[in-house]
Amino acid sequence: MNLSTPYVIETHALSKTYKNIQALRSLDLKVRQNSIFGFLGPNGAGKTTTIKLLLGLIRSSAGSATVFGMDTVKQSVEIRARIGYLPQEPHFYEYMTARQTLRFVASCFFEGPKKAIEERIDEMLEMVDLTSKANRPIMTFSGGERQRLGIAQAQVNYPDLLILDEPAASLDPLGRRDVLEVMSRLRKYTTIFYSTHILDDVQKVSDTVVILDKGALVAQGPIEELLASSEGVVYIIHLRGEVEAARKQVLAQPWVSGIIDGQHNGDSAWQVSVSDPQVAEVQLLKLLVNDSVVVTEFRRKQYELEDVFMQVIEGGSNVRK
Amino acid sequence: MSGNSAFQLVSERGWRRGLGSMLKSELSRWWKTRMWWVQCLIWGGLIGFLLSAVLFSTSDTPPSEEVAVLFLIFAGLFPSVGVVIIMQGVVVGEKKSGTAAWALSKPITRPAFLLSKVIANGLGVLGTMVILPGVIAYILNLLATGTPWNLPRFLAALSVVFLSHFFFLSLTLMLGTFFSGRGPVIGIALALLFLQQNLIGWFPVLGTVLPWKLVLPLGEQLDAVAPSLLVGSHNYSSLLIVVIALESLLFIGVGLWRFSREEF
Repeated sequence: MNLSTPYVIETHALSKTYKNIQALRSLDLKVRQNSIFGFLGPNGAGKTTTIKLLLGLIRSSAGSATVFGMDTVKQSVEIRARIGYLPQEPHFYEYMTARQTLRFVASCFFEGPKKAIEERIDEMLEMVDLTSKANRPIMTFSGGERQRLGIAQAQVNYPDLLILDEPAASLDPLGRRDVLEVMSRLRKYTTIFYSTHILDDVQKVSDTVVILDKGALVAQGPIEELLASSEGVVYIIHLRGEVEAARKQVLAQPWVSGIIDGQHNGDSAWQVSVSDPQVAEVQLLKLLVNDSVVVTEFRRKQYELEDVFMQVIEGGSNVRK
Repeated sequence: MSGNSAFQLVSERGWRRGLGSMLKSELSRWWKTRMWWVQCLIWGGLIGFLLSAVLFSTSDTPPSEEVAVLFLIFAGLFPSVGVVIIMQGVVVGEKKSGTAAWALSKPITRPAFLLSKVIANGLGVLGTMVILPGVIAYILNLLATGTPWNLPRFLAALSVVFLSHFFFLSLTLMLGTFFSGRGPVIGIALALLFLQQNLIGWFPVLGTVLPWKLVLPLGEQLDAVAPSLLVGSHNYSSLLIVVIALESLLFIGVGLWRFSREEF
């Protein structure tokens, strides 16, 4: 994916107010084709509201949105003809079986040929491991089985855009892993826009992330950039020996902005913040290599998405890339 | 859509988009579940039983005209309650359960969604609450009196019975688009069904806009439309048929308008 890749979703100052509650505040969003776009935020952040606005299930109070360049209000049906959607809590017609549900969904997109439709349904049932339960009424399905059926029905039409609202919420670890694998596999064919609370999943598969809080966008960007920019570049150094002299020497460097001291198994544990990562990468370890200190660990601090998430939600910072 | 070149895409356009899929689904709900035979059992059984009790419990068999009026009272009043009970959850149930939001996330227009329910439930009501009891009544009358009803007039009377049910079907459907709970929907529809005789008594002009006199006589008068049609009397107002049909269409129109503004 590069900068010339077209946008599939674009929102401009998209807002939604329910009576006196502002569920979404002036959201500007751009989702590139064939990306896996993670949509994060605490409960009530506005994730599901955004998804419903994109699907035309609710109307915006202000602003606009386009999907595939089409207006979400005026061309909602045309947009939905190219989308696969998994709701947060999938509800299907209880009197139908899993196979009938997939037939119903397929019939919304395809008229025939019957054989190809049935083959596609079989493929989807196989993918979510529901083949043996295909002819059971949905009213007998567990939450996890409904979720898997939801994933299957969202893909039956070969969507150009897959919108998944908490796709792994009711799944066990194996089911979660399978969903992530399916998402990675589909990246080649489709754009995936999904909301989740499971930050680990986002970090595994997403290439772009948006974090919403209280209806407002607080962070947006490629995941590597968000992770890198959370606190600047920090090196973790564990060492023993003439630590104080080494400390003074490191702090004297103009590209070192600070050292946080700590202890780890009897060694000194430093977190060295640097303002020039390129120079630090070459110089920092060299400064410490001498006879008076022993360096037992030296690495650049890796941030987890959870760190970024907590930082922007609790710290109220606004990071946009 | 990548990978779907082997498929013929749906050709429905405009407001009809998704009507075929929804209609098939709604018809399945009626005819591929136990719903159809349960309804057949209730209405065929109830009306057949009541009519049999009148026809075969005494040695004096009533004349064919009286049987016709009795049948139309049974067929016009009781199944309307069934219509309201069935229809009260059709829209509200789907709004509450989330299936409406799910279905409307597919390329299905809101008019197609709502009209599929009107058509499928209309056909269900026609089959199980009008035609089947009608056939049973026709046979019972023939067996008891030996005089068959005039078939064209009988069919015309059944059409009026259906119109009466359709009034309550469209009314309940419309109410479902306005309310999010079943209580007000069933409450208002049943209140109108049972109070209309009193309302017409207090304000006779309401007799020209309420469906009571389509099938049910008011007091001793025999001026209801369906019985008059069946016995060949002309003592009825055909304008009432037009008014009730227009009101039913109005309810559907208002329902479509309200549903187009619904947020899921």
